[in-house]
Amino acid sequence: MSVHPGAWVVWGVGAGLVAMLTTNPFYLLPLVGVSWLVYSACRVPGPSARSFRTFLTFAVVALVLRSGLVLFGTLDAGNLASAVVEGLRLGTLLVVFGTFNSVADPYGVLRLAPRRFYEVGLASALALAFAPRMIAAVTSVRDAQRLRGIHVSRMRMLPALAVPVLENGMEDALVLAESMDARGHGRGRRSRYRPLPWTTASWVVATAAATTLSIFVITALGDNGGLSPSLFPLTWPEAESILVASVCLLAVPALLPKEGSR
Amino acid sequence: MTDAVVFDRVTFGYPASVQAVLDDVSLRLPEGSFVLVTGPTGGGKSTLLRAINGLVPHFSGGRFSGRVLTASRDTRMFKPRDMADAVAFVPQDPGASFVLDQVEDELAYGMENLGTPVAHMRRRIEEVVDLLGIDSLRRRSVRGLSGGERQRVAIAAALAAGPRVLVLDEPTSQLDPQGAEDVLAALARLVHDLGMTVVAAEHRLERIASFADVVVGCLPREVVAGSAAEVFDRIGSGPPVTLVGRALGWSPAPLSVRDARRHAATTTLRRPRGARPPAGPPAVRARSAVAGYDGVDVIPGIDLVLGTGERVALMGRNGSGKTTLLRLLAGLLPPRAGSVGTATGPPRTGVDVALCPQEPESVLFCSTVAEEISSTVARRSDVDPRRFIQEFGLADVADVHPRDLSAGRRLLVAAAAIAATGAPVLLLDEPTRGLDPEAKAALTDFLVGFTERGGSSMFATHDVELAAAAASRVVMLAGGEVIADGAPEDVLGDSAVFAPQMTRVFGAGWLTPSQVIAAASS
Amino acid sequence: MTNWARRGLLLVCNLLGLAAFAWPFVLPAAVGGGAAGRADAPYIGVGLVVCLGALLFVELGRGALGAKEVALVGVLGAAMVALRLPGFVAGFSAMFIVVLVAGNAFGPGFGFLLGATGTFASGLFVGGLGPWLPFQMVAVGWVGMGAGWLPRPAAWRRRIAVLAAYGVVSGFAFGALMNLWFWPFAAGGSELGWAPGEGAAFNLTRYGAFYAVTSLAWDSARAAGNALLVVVLGRPLLGALDRAARRMHLEFPARSIVEDEAEEPAGWPRPRVIGVEESPDSTGQDAGENPRRGDPRKVPQKADRLRVTGGEGERVG
Repeated sequence: MSVHPGAWVVWGVGAGLVAMLTTNPFYLLPLVGVSWLVYSACRVPGPSARSFRTFLTFAVVALVLRSGLVLFGTLDAGNLASAVVEGLRLGTLLVVFGTFNSVADPYGVLRLAPRRFYEVGLASALALAFAPRMIAAVTSVRDAQRLRGIHVSRMRMLPALAVPVLENGMEDALVLAESMDARGHGRGRRSRYRPLPWTTASWVVATAAATTLSIFVITALGDNGGLSPSLFPLTWPEAESILVASVCLLAVPALLPKEGSR
Repeated sequence: MTDAVVFDRVTFGYPASVQAVLDDVSLRLPEGSFVLVTGPTGGGKSTLLRAINGLVPHFSGGRFSGRVLTASRDTRMFKPRDMADAVAFVPQDPGASFVLDQVEDELAYGMENLGTPVAHMRRRIEEVVDLLGIDSLRRRSVRGLSGGERQRVAIAAALAAGPRVLVLDEPTSQLDPQGAEDVLAALARLVHDLGMTVVAAEHRLERIASFADVVVGCLPREVVAGSAAEVFDRIGSGPPVTLVGRALGWSPAPLSVRDARRHAATTTLRRPRGARPPAGPPAVRARSAVAGYDGVDVIPGIDLVLGTGERVALMGRNGSGKTTLLRLLAGLLPPRAGSVGTATGPPRTGVDVALCPQEPESVLFCSTVAEEISSTVARRSDVDPRRFIQEFGLADVADVHPRDLSAGRRLLVAAAAIAATGAPVLLLDEPTRGLDPEAKAALTDFLVGFTERGGSSMFATHDVELAAAAASRVVMLAGGEVIADGAPEDVLGDSAVFAPQMTRVFGAGWLTPSQVIAAASS
Repeated sequence: MTNWARRGLLLVCNLLGLAAFAWPFVLPAAVGGGAAGRADAPYIGVGLVVCLGALLFVELGRGALGAKEVALVGVLGAAMVALRLPGFVAGFSAMFIVVLVAGNAFGPGFGFLLGATGTFASGLFVGGLGPWLPFQMVAVGWVGMGAGWLPRPAAWRRRIAVLAAYGVVSGFAFGALMNLWFWPFAAGGSELGWAPGEGAAFNLTRYGAFYAVTSLAWDSARAAGNALLVVVLGRPLLGALDRAARRMHLEFPARSIVEDEAEEPAGWPRPRVIGVEESPDSTGQDAGENPRRGDPRKVPQKADRLRVTGGEGERVG
């Protein structure tokens, strides 16, 4: 059963906000683990799957850089701990985004666009669709110019590469605009042929994420149960089990039955 | 019966031009007819088509007077999108006009715009899929379709919205003969079974001429409409059988091979004398060459010689390896095994062998025709660019921006720019896509002159009539291997799919109308 | 909504957006100092994303985009996506040239739209929708918008020079802005970090130091790259875009569109505009009669004439 992209957005926002709300490593580290679990279970095959690794790399880099900046100030345990913990928070946020990118299908995300953003969503979808064409055009133009004895590797001949690609693109845009116009674009009230179904799985994912977020928000508004452990003086952070459990709740998507072949 | 389309004294000129493209045009297209719009480039075919659904003048701007009524709607009052439920427009290359990713979503796009309820959309899509035979394509991405499949999907998408009038701009120009057949058959079915009005612009008249109920001829100064025979006679064009019929005085002038055969039975022709000069020494030779991409060997092993002074037509279905072979011979694609060589070693791209690619627009980047040619010639000091401009008949447009020219002339500019490299071997990949007869003739003339001066040429094409007229030798490919290689009379005459009309009518050995006409009058 | 009200709203939203980037300097120290201030930073961060969202909402969700604009943004956006792929070479991303040139050719509104949409699409394409995305969309949008506001001298050399200079400035400005986004989170508490208790001037110097350490090199590469591409490609690309706009008969408020009103040859019926303006007919023909057949110069009925000067948004008949 597939999960509606909107449910993934709820998951991503929920998990992200949870990461923002705390600097306690005992909440952040499980969150990283949960994200990895969801990624490995639910990732969409294709280029998006690589995103997780990319974001993980960013996360590590962010952690290292953030800790490194401590060197510019007074070096003491408190400052170092603070730097590490803030780097961890940033890193966790990035990992959550990595998971989101690898489980949500870009076209699915675009279809979520509310009516007001319909044209922008459509333009984005077109950009995605035409991008491979453009890349192929660059190769074929480069070959074509070679056939004339023009080597576009030199800076001076760059226009010989860029101009045909752009002009072809402009002619495509003309044909496209004509066609869209002739097919009734901008006419008024639209209907949707295949509205994405909001399945049970989607409910499960969205509810889990909302629950976790609510628990954390209530805790934050209340007595700050271990969300921001004290750094000055430096003490070992405490973790409340209920909060850890709610972080683990975010792993629910990984437990869902796998979808059939896409 | 009402008229589907009425032009009432329409005069139109584009914003930046002084000349009127349509001048006081009046015509009526009856409902349920198959209308063919033809005529030389610059005569206003595209403009006429776009005036039917309001793209002219709303999309294009310009000065417009008179009125056009389509499905009883005045296009001055209705923008193209307001006409979308009554008229559908299919552009020449639908690949650039697809909006969504999956075929089924693309079919629904028009109806979504019209706010059609979902249940109704589902029904229409089923109907349209059956009509065009594209059920197997429903879940596929539009980007991976072949030319013929794309064209059928585009027509299906246009039909899904339920229009009464279907307008198509050169629907078969990008297709191989089989694909063209499929599309034309589908269009004929729409007219005969559903009573739709179909208006199609075309250059290649061989097949479509027999379908047309009404022909509209768009000439620079006037537009004429009537039956096929009348209009072809009036504008002096037509498929090869019509040209021959007219010249030989057959009455009524035939429109199809079948009509022509009846007349041919009573005509005797002296056998053609075909003494072709033997080919010169090899210019490019491929020996057991293997080539392909990404681990797939498109050409599993080929032996081919292109001799000096030859004009070779390379034919075969889409995917048979024509483009790969040309790239191999041009030195763009090194062989994985075997060898490709000229007298002096492997072919140097742009020096020994020049290739005009499938999309000639990929080559054009200057602001005038003359500049395009000079930029190639700049590398060589001994050549005068004006020579090439003359040879390709481009003298009158030397200062025009290449992209402002018609498709045919754009190809000629690209070919001239490529020929200006001075390479003795000139290869062309599908040069006749969307080409009008004048440009075809200019290209043929150039190739003949080029090879007579000692050059060699090979061109990949679907256009049987071009092969018949221009080639001295025909090579057929299938699966990357040569399955036929010989004189045009023999190879083309032998094939059911690729035989030119003259062969079908008069038998093997007859290729072009001029050949037949010359023999009949002697 | 009237034009002025709309412009006012746009201005407010853009200022809000700017505040969303520059808040470390402008929020009063009362917000909090020391540890408490740092703890609040995330909430502020979320609030800023909401602000930027509002800006994007107003700027992009106009609903008045016609087929031409959508097609152009689609194709040019695809160019941005394609150019992003070769990756960042020390901060330089060739995708900026598209925004610079298109903004300059088509005006500030289109420039912003293209910048934001293209950035979004390229994020989708590479699977890189990160928390920085709203900030990046707005920043690239501003680059395009600025390019549309540049003066457009008739002489090509000057026009390219102006655009190249803007390429340099925007290269640095973009980097500075994007750095600003995560500065408080990334460096808070350190010597280079945001000090919520101090004033704007102090924070500016702090930021300057942070910037010099982290992003100056990258931004220099970007600025130089932008300028180089503008010099090499600017003129041919602008020419191509201008031609495309003419062929599509677009009506942007840009002055780069040239419509030649050529002399009409004699006998050509003089067109008139109906509905929006009434241009006086020089020969005073205002008859309401139907044209008589066979007389080509007879004045057609008023309703028979139509002059359209733009595809979208044009009042017709």
